Amino acid sequence: MALTQVSVAFSGAVALREASVSIAPGARLGIVGESGCGKSMLGLCLMGMVPDAAQVTGSIRLNGQELAGAPERVWRRHRARDVAMIFQEPMAALNPLKRVGETVMEPLMIHEGLSRPAARARALALFEEVGLPDPAASLRQYPHEISGGQRQRVLIALALACDPGLLVADEPTTALDANVALRIIELLVRLSKSRNMALVFISHDLAAVSRATEQMLVMYGGDIVERGPTAQVLAAPRHPYTQGLLGARPGLENRGRTPDGRRKRLVTIPGTVPPLFDLPQGCRFSGRCGQEFAPCARHRPQPTALGGGQEAACHLLSPLHAGRGAA
Amino acid sequence: MSAPLLQLEGVTRRYRMPRTALFRPPPVLTAVDNVSLSLNAGQTLGIVGESGSGKSTLARMIMAFEAPDEGAVLFQGADLNRLSGADLRLARRRFQMVFQDPFGSLDPRRRVGWSIAEPLRATGAEDSAARVTQALDQVGLRAGDAEKYPHEFSGGQRQRIAIARAIVTRPALLVADEAVSALDVSVQAQILNLLMDLQEEMGLAMIFISHDLAVVACICDRILVMRNGKSIETGDTGALIANPRHDYTRSLLVASGLET
Repeated sequence: MALTQVSVAFSGAVALREASVSIAPGARLGIVGESGCGKSMLGLCLMGMVPDAAQVTGSIRLNGQELAGAPERVWRRHRARDVAMIFQEPMAALNPLKRVGETVMEPLMIHEGLSRPAARARALALFEEVGLPDPAASLRQYPHEISGGQRQRVLIALALACDPGLLVADEPTTALDANVALRIIELLVRLSKSRNMALVFISHDLAAVSRATEQMLVMYGGDIVERGPTAQVLAAPRHPYTQGLLGARPGLENRGRTPDGRRKRLVTIPGTVPPLFDLPQGCRFSGRCGQEFAPCARHRPQPTALGGGQEAACHLLSPLHAGRGAA
Repeated sequence: MSAPLLQLEGVTRRYRMPRTALFRPPPVLTAVDNVSLSLNAGQTLGIVGESGSGKSTLARMIMAFEAPDEGAVLFQGADLNRLSGADLRLARRRFQMVFQDPFGSLDPRRRVGWSIAEPLRATGAEDSAARVTQALDQVGLRAGDAEKYPHEFSGGQRQRIAIARAIVTRPALLVADEAVSALDVSVQAQILNLLMDLQEEMGLAMIFISHDLAVVACICDRILVMRNGKSIETGDTGALIANPRHDYTRSLLVASGLET
């Protein structure tokens, strides 16, 4: 799957600006950012589920086939089989009136044309694969009878039903307890490896992304501001926004007290994410960035390669402005 | 040595569940099971645990929103559940709470100045604009913001308003139940720093409840780990993180990214 220069706009408000992403089979890609940064919109582009009101430009290719602007009927052939998605709130994504087994059997009967008994056998195998305790009994349960973690497992089974090549997981662990979230992440990684299935893991949680993915994108205000191998980006973030995000996360290094007995403060990014219709024209992060200088507000920074596959879109890193800026 | 600010002695709270059969007694859920703790003035205590561990029920009992079935909640030596209604109202000036959802906890039809002054009215204190202005200033908002409505603020600013409301009566104890969980990381850091500022400036004692051990660890002197209604481990933050005695605590450390 490859997105090239994809932009999404809602009557002037730019939700995504010229994003290019390519996902190889079996790759695990994390998308990180705060609310309103465009990460979910990028996920929806991969699924062909961008709201009708949006204007989409650019190219969206799936296994070489151009799908940008393709009608719903074309996308429908690819969803479930080629690309599948799981969401944050597993209760809202399941039909409360249906046994979860029926829910998982439905796409098997519709997309794959299986008979009921065959679909049931496949659903049972899927429930085993996603680690549901007592899969046979689980088939007959209703969503309200199982825990949040188990519901997410059911949804993963549902997403896997037609053996997709790409699974988009949008905040799949946010609504779960920390321990349960960890197990869901382990499951997603295991499934991605065993099925050679690409995984796009969208989350605001840097720890989750570091566990789940090999490559990551950091998004801010509809732009991809930094990307690279997950471990490398988290160890040595180069974009001021990525640095701010990492500093703001409570961890061991910002715990304890300073010599004068005061508690150590967290690094903060001043202000809040501006609304989409009020984004700065140049670098989206200008106005909140502590290292801003002349070109930031006016010119959009282009990505600079930083070695090892890492790149960041920041004027400070651009060779044009070498040695400039407040830093 | 004076008495602790807050003391919980063997506090237990049970809820009756819906009946499962007509002639059988309804099952009972023990939400909080024999929990004791004490907190001195100016100290911060974190309570961590997953959903359903009883941490919010514990908070509700500390706030005297509900009474324990067994045990006692002593605030400045007085058993909250034995106070008369009038005395409890007075006592409430000294302990206040910040909730998780900054959208649900403010009345959308009232100007935020009115909401911030609510605890002053509710506890019979003087409803003064000066106190509201001061509270707004303490949380980093402007005096003019009192005239605005909640929808005019972002999530982080709303949480600042909720904190202003909680400190307007100048309490000695602040109970924060998942107060930063709904916020983005960068805003969460701002609010945590604000709570640290207030804690140091006002000498506030704080009970900080969260499912995220990393958040709790950066703001609390001591931590209490709850599971299934029971307090399973408690200790100084540094010691608990360096040397967790309970496997469950260790799993929370791993889950929060403090240990791999």
